[in-house]
Amino acid sequence: MYDLIIRNGTVVDGSGLPGYQADVAVKGNRIARIGKIAETAGKEVDASGKVVAPGFIDPHTHFDAQLLWDGAAKPALSHGVTTIVPGNCSLSLAPLKADHRMRLVGMFNQIEEMPYKAFREGVVWDWETFSEYITRIRKGLAINVAPLVGHSVIRLWVMNDAATERTATDEEIAEMQDVLRECLDAGAAGLSTSYVDMDETLQPVPSRYADAREVDALASVLGEYGRMLQIVPEFYDPDLTIARLDQLAELSIKYQIPTTFSPLFVNSDNVDAVDKVMKRVDEQFARGARVWPQVQTRPIDISFSFAVPSLLFIRFPGWYRVMRFGSPEEIRAHFADPENRKARAEEVAEYKDLWPKLVLRQVKTDANQKYVGKTLAEIAKERGVTPVEAMIDLSVEEDLDAHFLAADMGHNNDDKVVSLLKHPRVHIGASDGGAHILSFSTYGDTGYLFGHFVRDLKTMRLEDAVKKITSDTASIWGIPERGLLQPGYIADIAIFDPETVDRGVERFVQDVPGDGSRYIRDSHGVDTVIVGGGVAWSASDGYQEARGAILPGARDDQPELVAAE
Amino acid sequence: MTATTLSTVRKSVLPQAGDTWASIAARELPDMAEADAVSGLQSWNLHVFMRAPAPEGSPRAGNPILPSDVIFIEPPLAAA
Repeated sequence: MYDLIIRNGTVVDGSGLPGYQADVAVKGNRIARIGKIAETAGKEVDASGKVVAPGFIDPHTHFDAQLLWDGAAKPALSHGVTTIVPGNCSLSLAPLKADHRMRLVGMFNQIEEMPYKAFREGVVWDWETFSEYITRIRKGLAINVAPLVGHSVIRLWVMNDAATERTATDEEIAEMQDVLRECLDAGAAGLSTSYVDMDETLQPVPSRYADAREVDALASVLGEYGRMLQIVPEFYDPDLTIARLDQLAELSIKYQIPTTFSPLFVNSDNVDAVDKVMKRVDEQFARGARVWPQVQTRPIDISFSFAVPSLLFIRFPGWYRVMRFGSPEEIRAHFADPENRKARAEEVAEYKDLWPKLVLRQVKTDANQKYVGKTLAEIAKERGVTPVEAMIDLSVEEDLDAHFLAADMGHNNDDKVVSLLKHPRVHIGASDGGAHILSFSTYGDTGYLFGHFVRDLKTMRLEDAVKKITSDTASIWGIPERGLLQPGYIADIAIFDPETVDRGVERFVQDVPGDGSRYIRDSHGVDTVIVGGGVAWSASDGYQEARGAILPGARDDQPELVAAE
Repeated sequence: MTATTLSTVRKSVLPQAGDTWASIAARELPDMAEADAVSGLQSWNLHVFMRAPAPEGSPRAGNPILPSDVIFIEPPLAAA
């Protein structure tokens, strides 16, 4: 007797081999059989006309905070994502001493745009160690979590304020190694570090004060466990990216560990720059290193309002300063002042091609509804002002609640992007799920992969796309028994319609604790998502069973095993 | 694995403890006049040179170089 049978679907098993018609039977948390199944089960899913694939694995997310109030990492799970990797970019929420909480919240706020209020009202701070954090998020976990531990956080734990002042002593490095071991023993999937991120005071995060000796020592600990080192390189510059990937390659070979750097973007101003990076990646793989670049599927779109310090303005210090450090009243007053308006307009004048293309997405007053959906060029023409003036005026009139979209800001050359996505030494990832929630939606990259590149452009085989985000990812990260549909494997399964699968339209919703909002995209064409043998989400009934696991997890924390037939 | 020759990429170093533009210039570009070497380093490393200054009183005040920085010791290579 099986617990669940998925009937009449096309099994795309994650291997890259052609799909085939078969039923899939699940017993306990594992796939028991694939083929024609005459028996019945307590629960059955009709997958006629649909693809039955392994659940997708998202290797670059920042769901660390969201997992404290939402064990399904909504809406990622509904897109077919059954495993997420939080804790990237040197930031995790553990280990974390009580004294450091607000400092880390500041970093999350600056780097990932997670509102302070969400932490104040959505988080009960009842952990310090990594093990305690894992215990905390396991309650009600509906999605699998392979958590990285952040280098900045380990540094803060060991060095306190000195973490952002100096290099570590030998004794401090040894203590960091011990802390990392404790985290890996508690179930961490690896370590993350960053060479670009800034804290809430716009100063470098702690990991950037580490010298090569410290990183080498931590990598040696990863070598004891064979676990991942993730970094954020200076991705805006190919020479710097190459220097970082060379560092990673040395550590990968020396300690026999997998490494990954993210993101690798296609720069609109220099689309061939990625070729230079990929040439080096190929050379380092040929040496035996594992240096996986992560490439996201979606183009870069940025949504913003003047109420938050958008990434779009980070290159304009006058704008960014007032949005980052000003209260809503101060921001309104700033832009209401004619002299400030003039100064801000002059500051962004160099980017004169950008502003006319921005689209007004959302306003709250009836008077300005007529402009929604129009470009700033169109609105400016109607109002007899410049596009930048129109943007400022609308923001003031809307009490800062006017939302704009800057679409296709980069990574939008389909030919170049798909050549990367198909590359055997490229790791599809870098979704940033759960981060930048006030700038863009980080959900639905898998739907975009299938809808845009596989179905619409026909530039990628469905089977290859599935393989890239399932078995390839599991292999790269050393996640056992997942990423393939085969008897004996854990039953993490995504069922979707290849004719309709896609990401939905981006929308601004208020579902973050503390009355906070974020941009999200709903899933389209995904029918059922199964995690650990249980239906975690379905289009008909929404979120259901919570059978998520910590991966790889502590040795005594593995999911209960049920033998395959 | 078979022995693989890596292609030539832009030369860089990682800072040593207490490094400044001048100390890196003296160590890595000994044949250049110090002022020229420092000026060269700064122009090849705008990601460091243009960094927002550290707050007054910070141990890093006056020196933008971080221990983790990549410091290029030559200009960008000509395109192949």
